[in-house]
Amino acid sequence: MVNEKELQDVVEKTIKRDDVKYIVGYEKGTYGFQVTPSFAYKPEDAKKFIFSPLCVHNLTVFPMLEEKPPLRKGEEPDSRKVGVVVKGCDSRAVIQIIQEKGLDRDKVVIIGIPCTGVVDPKKIEAKFPGIIKNADIKDDGDNFVITIDGKSHKVAKDELMPDKCKTCEYPSPILYDILIGKEIKSTKKEDYKNVKNFEKKSMKEKWEYWEKQFDKCIRCYACRNACPLCYCKECLVDQLNPQWVRRSVDVSENTAWNFLRAFHLAGRCIGCGQCERVCPMDLPLMELNKKLEKDVKELFEYIPGINAEEKPLLAMFKPDDPEEFIL
Amino acid sequence: MDKLVLSKNDFTKFIDELLKKDTVFAPVENNGTIIFNQIKKSNEPNFNYQNSQYPPKAILFNQTETLFKFKPGPKGDIEPIKVDEKKIIFGIRPCDAKSLAILDHAFTGDYKDPYFLTRRDNSILIGLSCTKPGVNCFCTSLDDSPASSKYVDILLTDIGDKYYVEVVTEKGKQITKNTSKFFKPAKENDTKNKKEIEKQSVNAIERIQKTEKIVEKLDKIFDNKFWKEVADRCVGCGTCTYLCPTCHCFDIQDESTLTKGARIRVWDTCMNPEYTIHASGYNPRPERTNRVRNRVYHKYNYYPKNFDIIACVGCGRCIDLCPVNIDIIDVVTRAGEVKP
Repeated sequence: MVNEKELQDVVEKTIKRDDVKYIVGYEKGTYGFQVTPSFAYKPEDAKKFIFSPLCVHNLTVFPMLEEKPPLRKGEEPDSRKVGVVVKGCDSRAVIQIIQEKGLDRDKVVIIGIPCTGVVDPKKIEAKFPGIIKNADIKDDGDNFVITIDGKSHKVAKDELMPDKCKTCEYPSPILYDILIGKEIKSTKKEDYKNVKNFEKKSMKEKWEYWEKQFDKCIRCYACRNACPLCYCKECLVDQLNPQWVRRSVDVSENTAWNFLRAFHLAGRCIGCGQCERVCPMDLPLMELNKKLEKDVKELFEYIPGINAEEKPLLAMFKPDDPEEFIL
Repeated sequence: MDKLVLSKNDFTKFIDELLKKDTVFAPVENNGTIIFNQIKKSNEPNFNYQNSQYPPKAILFNQTETLFKFKPGPKGDIEPIKVDEKKIIFGIRPCDAKSLAILDHAFTGDYKDPYFLTRRDNSILIGLSCTKPGVNCFCTSLDDSPASSKYVDILLTDIGDKYYVEVVTEKGKQITKNTSKFFKPAKENDTKNKKEIEKQSVNAIERIQKTEKIVEKLDKIFDNKFWKEVADRCVGCGTCTYLCPTCHCFDIQDESTLTKGARIRVWDTCMNPEYTIHASGYNPRPERTNRVRNRVYHKYNYYPKNFDIIACVGCGRCIDLCPVNIDIIDVVTRAGEVKP
């Protein structure tokens, strides 16, 4: 279990540094099982910071979302560092972005937290519906202990964890400046069981499945905006001249959008599952991401977000790349 | 107002009767998500729902609306679209019905929108009272009730062994007249039961938004740093606006191939930076702070000033599904406490 006091102390100390602009972490949400991103600008803000299995967000998205309006005459850009609290999966996003030169390693302070699995908010809200008061969740080995109104419930982790945690190979942050607690080694293995099962289906079955899913999409782009790796200055779907994807919301354009999103993350997606978590229409987007992750792994023996020194997959060439898929 | 009862056995028969003549939309399950869709049989709807994930405003104000079609040619071959379909929206919640009344203001101003208004005139709302409000329901904070008949043509309330039926408008009366075999006059006890159910439902709403004097308060805190605090965590997606039953902004585009095209309008979202960007490249709402603030002001300041009604019905969808827990109950309540 993560010592929240230790986390708060680290944040307080870090925000006091002259070269740190703010630190993004987690604080209690407004109701039930909600946790919300929290921004510390001053040392006293550190007291709000928490860490629990409800801390599902990948906060790496925030430095990427920073908007830089034009400076006024005489104004200097604020080039101080941004602090981010990361779990294992989140840290891989930082690495991937650094690799792609989207972030400068010197411009981030990474506060790492070894993670023993988070709770899928949709699953827990279905299991304990109608909870308004803030509930408390603690990690207890193979279980989560959930305290609601003073009453504790023990629930097996497998029941509440999102799939990504069940096969997580990187629970500890790979890259960090400060680590809270001790590193954890994973015994889990990503076997792509779901992907393999889906691959066995006929083309028709596959299409029928996805057509139904894409039909639900409302193109709110929550999947894109919550994704730390979707950080293009202007997204392809927003472009009007030329217009690559039409604004009409129908199966055809929705399919174009969803494939486009998935393919642009091939060899880049680190599997944090934010897209699927935030989707208001419950599209199983990780199934697309996992398929591409598996293909990239098998074809190029490449895993994104592991080594900040390495080149991104699509920016490197190896003479011994397997080429059997090229016609 | 006629007060009737409908036995539970006759409930599906009543829907079947409606289906004989009318196009009926009702809440259905679509791959685990409840949405309003056209039904063909009375066993399709799922009435065991809190509310639809996607607001039923979409039936009248389509997310993608074709305004007219065109073909190339020297004369510009234009084919208008006729909007005249009649619809019954069955099972709409009182809050969503209210949202349509709020949208009326936006679509009837200087220019009467033929698409929305024709559909609105042609649709009949058969509401279903909310007996199990959700965690983030707060219609009571906006002077309403989960069992309010104010904005529907007919309101059904499950009072245990039967439905209590309030026939509010002429349109509603026409329906119950044509299907009178299913209805009996309500007894005093039924009316009492409905009031009791309504009271229980009102009491089940625990979350409260403080909206007292919010219009005046917002006038004073436009430049307050509070809005940055709220918006810091916003990721800028369109979930809150697309799922909002009262949001009504749209974008107009021409979409064409070499041989045909159409002018369409699609929902737009003020959370998107492009929403306000000028042709010159200047953007008056350059940061998320400006955009998040706009959403709150539009609903709790501009709209009440223009039309004397807060443009929020308390359905809680934006709270339920915000990726980062930006909670309109909390935001507005705290805005009321901010020192100007």
